[in-house]
Amino acid sequence: MNFKGTLPTLILEALVREPTHGYRIAQSIKERSEGVLDFKEGTLYPALHKLENEGLVESYESNETGRARRCYRITKTGRATLARDRAEWRQLSRAVTVILGEA
Amino acid sequence: MTRLDSWLKQATRHLSKDAAAQVRTEIEEHYWSAHEAAIADGAASAEADLRVIAALGDPKLANREYRRVMLTCSEARALREGNWEARTLCSRRWLLLAVPLAVLCTGVALLLAGKTAVAQVPLAGGAAMALLLGATFLPIYTPARARIFRWVKWATLLAVFLVAFDLKSSWLLISCLWLLAWTEWTRIALRRKLPVADWPKQLYL
Repeated sequence: MNFKGTLPTLILEALVREPTHGYRIAQSIKERSEGVLDFKEGTLYPALHKLENEGLVESYESNETGRARRCYRITKTGRATLARDRAEWRQLSRAVTVILGEA
Repeated sequence: MTRLDSWLKQATRHLSKDAAAQVRTEIEEHYWSAHEAAIADGAASAEADLRVIAALGDPKLANREYRRVMLTCSEARALREGNWEARTLCSRRWLLLAVPLAVLCTGVALLLAGKTAVAQVPLAGGAAMALLLGATFLPIYTPARARIFRWVKWATLLAVFLVAFDLKSSWLLISCLWLLAWTEWTRIALRRKLPVADWPKQLYL
């Protein structure tokens, strides 16, 4: 399913639960959507870099099972953006549902 | 060359050296995590490799996305050269004031000699140079101030060029402005890609 525009929001949602690395973010999105949101993992990192440039997430080095990994955590600004995105999404989703006559 | 190397080669095309190294590290980390998970799922090593590369997707698409958010070779070069220019100018601060002042004095001298039409060019040129070279002395160190300065700069430059060259010489106007416009375009890309904390002085101007 094409959900390119919502990928940054989904990344923020994954990071609000726990700071983690790129692979786990991808798996979390796929698992929680029960496989519906199956995106190409190569596009996850550019989205993460964009969020980092905008100050919505920050990265840090972490040692996981003896291997150095780049992990990401959500910032205060990121949490505020996520709250705004959630509200906008609910509004949009409600409107589309009404138009499609499924309310 | 392994499939991963080939994927990385395409995905890092035209990226700066640092950006390419960063992409390489993060994709390799991702690859090995995914590879281990596939092996744990019961896949053979070759099959796991195929599965992981397929999950990464089209490297050309990833490259396009990376180039939108990370520095390309030409942008990294522009940043380096901009830093060099800024250092050179700052180490010769007297030049920043002396050159526009000399040009303005020439304009005033011509004006006093009664050559009003000729005086317009050095006066307008001196004002433009004072604005461009003197900017480093101004307290511009926040994005909001920088935005205001850039609006003032472009409005002044356009006015100065129109006064100096009038509309009949518009080809001359365009040839003078394109280099400034190109520099501005590159800086817009750099501002978008670098966090504000990492902006060098010239990105504010």
